[in-house]
Amino acid sequence: MSAACGTPLGLSLLVDYWLAELAPADEERVEAHLLGCASCGYELRSLVNLAGGIRRVTRKGAVRAVVTRAFLERVAADGLRVREYRVAPGGSVQCTVAPEDDLVVARLSAGLEGIGRVDLAICDDSGRERERVRDIPVSGAHGEVVFLPRTASLRAAPAGVDRLKLLAVEQGAERLLAEYIFVHTPSPAGPARG
Amino acid sequence: MICSNVVSSLETDPAESSLADADLARRVTAAAPGEALAAETELYRRLAPRVELYGLRHLRAEQAAADLVQQVLVLTIERLREGRVREPERLASYVLGVCRMVVLDLKRGEGRRKRALERYAADVPMAESSSSPRVDLDRLASCLDRLHERERSVLVLTFYSERSATEVAAELGLSPGNVRVIRHRALGRLRECMSGELSAP
Ligand SMILES: [Zn+2]
Repeated sequence: MSAACGTPLGLSLLVDYWLAELAPADEERVEAHLLGCASCGYELRSLVNLAGGIRRVTRKGAVRAVVTRAFLERVAADGLRVREYRVAPGGSVQCTVAPEDDLVVARLSAGLEGIGRVDLAICDDSGRERERVRDIPVSGAHGEVVFLPRTASLRAAPAGVDRLKLLAVEQGAERLLAEYIFVHTPSPAGPARG
Repeated sequence: MICSNVVSSLETDPAESSLADADLARRVTAAAPGEALAAETELYRRLAPRVELYGLRHLRAEQAAADLVQQVLVLTIERLREGRVREPERLASYVLGVCRMVVLDLKRGEGRRKRALERYAADVPMAESSSSPRVDLDRLASCLDRLHERERSVLVLTFYSERSATEVAAELGLSPGNVRVIRHRALGRLRECMSGELSAP
């Protein structure tokens, strides 16, 4: 175990350093400290391991998250196979996941300008809500919600219909913004028709 | 080959492990070349993980960082032996300078320094840098699940490929300050969960 540090750099500074957000003089100070301090190096190493873990679970499709178009471009550039389904409000799509797919994304087009809070409700064919993704980050300018479900959950899902609903949550009340229908066929399957 | 003489079997001498970095550096400088093996090994053991982090930060690749560790530490120990490190108490700054120089060379793709290093490498001891424990990925996925949606989005977008708050903010339509706040809170919650301190969001 390394000796304790009298002037620890702190998590925020280490994150800023790791993400190359520091001014050159601050970066130099942090680097000189890190090269002389095992304790702060251990902290940074933990952070780096955590960051690497986030990257690995994301690549495995083990994380459900709202992401962005730019993110999809980055994972594609990394050589991951991404199956995309673009759906318009009120639209329906036939979907599946092939054995070679790394990730599957739903691109739900929607006008979300000026809405304070948006939830994504995942419902069965009868409309019963199974899962709620609360307060998703939406940028109205981009005009769509890019939803990344867990790949393993999709692989395990039987044939059936999912209804995804975008809901505005305002002053305790909900308002349906748009609904999207996903008709799922389990893998292995033929080419997706979506 | 630089790593042909890895001395991973060399045990750390308790006498050396209690010394400060600067004392070890002085010991290497004071001894005849190759006569302060225990001090050199202890210095290598300490500096390797630190230089590796520098390499990961600037080269963003594990193999490149491992190459950097070898090149930087071979050069540093060689210069200590030659008495060219004038202020051993400022060893960290010295190593930082060597790191910068070698990273520049690596980025330029120059093989010149590497060839020069290979001449030295035959008699410089090396120990494997201690590898840190792997993250439990199942637990991590479960802990990520417990975060708020915005927190999870910010962490995934940030750490999938090391994006700054400004970049993530532009993608999500948030302010950079907001992303920094969410990122900090999310990392805190994630670390708590990973260490078993968080039960529910
Ligand atoms: Zn420190």
